[in-house]
Amino acid sequence: MAISNPFRRKPIRATEVAVETQTEPAKTHEVKRGFAFYVEYIAKDKPALLGTVIIGAFLVFALIEGALQEAAALLHQSPYNANLGTILLSSNPIALRFSEQLLPPSFKNFPDLLLGSNFQGQSLLSSILYATPHDAVASLLVVGSAIFIGMFVGTSAGYLGGWTDEVMMRLTDAFLALPAIVLAITISVLIGGGFTSLLVALTVIWWPTYARFFRAQALTIRNKGYVEASKLSGSGWLKILVRHIIPNSVDPIIAYATLDMGTVILTYATLAFLGIGVTSGYPEWGYLSSSGLQFFPQQWWYSVIPGVVIAVVVVAFTLAGDRLQDLIGGRITY
Amino acid sequence: MVSNFGFFVTRRAINALITVVLLLALVFALLHILIPSPEAMARIIVGNPRASPGITASIIKANNLDAPLYVQFFNYLWNTIHGNFGVDTQLHIPEVDVLKEYLPITLELVVVGQIIGVLIGLYTGAIAAANRNRAPDYGMKALYLTTWSAPIFLVAFIFQLILAYWLNLLPASGVVDPILYAPHYVTGMPLVDALIAGDWVYFWSALQHLLLPAFTIAVIGFGLVTRIERSSMIDALDRDYVKLAYMKGLSKRKVVWGTAFRNALIPIITLVALLFATSVGGSVIVEVVYHYHGMGFFTVNAAFNYDYTAILAFTIIIGISVIAANFVADLLYAIADPRVRLT
Repeated sequence: MAISNPFRRKPIRATEVAVETQTEPAKTHEVKRGFAFYVEYIAKDKPALLGTVIIGAFLVFALIEGALQEAAALLHQSPYNANLGTILLSSNPIALRFSEQLLPPSFKNFPDLLLGSNFQGQSLLSSILYATPHDAVASLLVVGSAIFIGMFVGTSAGYLGGWTDEVMMRLTDAFLALPAIVLAITISVLIGGGFTSLLVALTVIWWPTYARFFRAQALTIRNKGYVEASKLSGSGWLKILVRHIIPNSVDPIIAYATLDMGTVILTYATLAFLGIGVTSGYPEWGYLSSSGLQFFPQQWWYSVIPGVVIAVVVVAFTLAGDRLQDLIGGRITY
Repeated sequence: MVSNFGFFVTRRAINALITVVLLLALVFALLHILIPSPEAMARIIVGNPRASPGITASIIKANNLDAPLYVQFFNYLWNTIHGNFGVDTQLHIPEVDVLKEYLPITLELVVVGQIIGVLIGLYTGAIAAANRNRAPDYGMKALYLTTWSAPIFLVAFIFQLILAYWLNLLPASGVVDPILYAPHYVTGMPLVDALIAGDWVYFWSALQHLLLPAFTIAVIGFGLVTRIERSSMIDALDRDYVKLAYMKGLSKRKVVWGTAFRNALIPIITLVALLFATSVGGSVIVEVVYHYHGMGFFTVNAAFNYDYTAILAFTIIIGISVIAANFVADLLYAIADPRVRLT
């Protein structure tokens, strides 16, 4: 199916146009297609390359760490002793070490105290690394499902037009009118705490933007020749949507989605900062920051360092997404 | 063209109204999906999870909780339109009184923060555009990409740490010095009320307490303004009238700020409405970190005390004000650029 891999489909004319107008490659330079094109394009910009490397490291580490934690849970290993989930870390971020409370960042015991320790003596470095899977899963899953929902709502609204369009877009407006953080607080508190309900809440507030994007895309694509041809050959609207409109509108969304994954991490951290969706005994970037609040002016690094880590990861997503947006800039309308 | 403009305004007003009704329906649906049974709702209204069946039955009867859903929805719509949000389950006073107390404080914070943010954004955006692809441009880009990506609480921490705790320039937390008497309630906004009462000591204290939170909101929000201002400024600087201004012998400073800047302002208008929503969301965190007791602070407290009426009231009020802001932005945009009216 064309939808399974958006990079491999045939009409990528716009990317080639972008290369010709922006960098004017020499005649011997072969224009790469699909994924290789994106890699090469990003590698030309140093900050974006740095961002991509950070994102890659973050995602790979989160994947391995998450798998190890799951394995440890499956083997019923106690979280208070060294277990599979902590073998990559310098110390166990869940076990209590009251002899090492609130130590400032230092090279002592390298690398365990590189970022200091918290009020239970747990190393901040280990806690931050231990919490990566949640942030990675949140960003991937929320953006992924938001794209999926927004894709169907947006393209069908844009393609069908008329009353369907009006109703769907007013509903989208109603969702968009709600400030994200407030609605997420409302939903996750009403559903009840926990990671899963937080993911649901984030998805509920995330899809309307994508619905808008996909609608704008569908409005331009629905008048193209191949859509007309497909309609004349007797295809139903659902088939046209899945075969033509969705595959051709997914491309510009990639840049925005990259930027957006950073925003999801930011919102997730903000909610965790308020203590929403936090499981007790499991460190969370935002929650680490807010638990340092009571020691704030004296042990300032305790609440500032997790915040800086969040900022670094989000900046990485912003740099890569910004570079991709430059590429797609002329093609997206919203 | 008057009828054209009138048509545009009516169309937009109807759209905004429909959106408000849908918003209310959304909140109502959310409430009833999550709290399906009348008994559970009654227990929340009483504020006691172990209320006896007799009490819940009387509450259900008093509040019409067992009526069909559409009747309940119209009751709810009717009540909300008349400003009746129910009784706060935490404080046991009408929700309107709570809103009267806390909402103006948040509004003042958000409006001041947003004005500062837009000013910073306009300034940095114009500088970036005037020095396109040179050091100041890249500097501004690095600056706004960083502040854009930084968590709000980090920005708040850093401001608080450096300006309040290390340099002792501004107070670290609170709305106003707690030993001062509040002026007579007129608008609920500390600054405005102090001005009306002529209480300069209170005004000065409230202003000092306002600056750090407002700047935090400004710093997280200005990046978008910078970005749009930069591109619209670049657009304006390429126009013929700018070349004419240069040819007349005006200095670069005068051309950038006098000629191009004024023409590049138009796209910012719609952005302000968009920023309003993010600023309100941001104000929740800012209020928590600075102990600035506004609606955001109250909502977080309400969330942990299962005070549903407060959360829903806040959600509705903010949603409606965002829709209103969007509507006003559309109108301003149509006045500034008549071509928009055709769509």
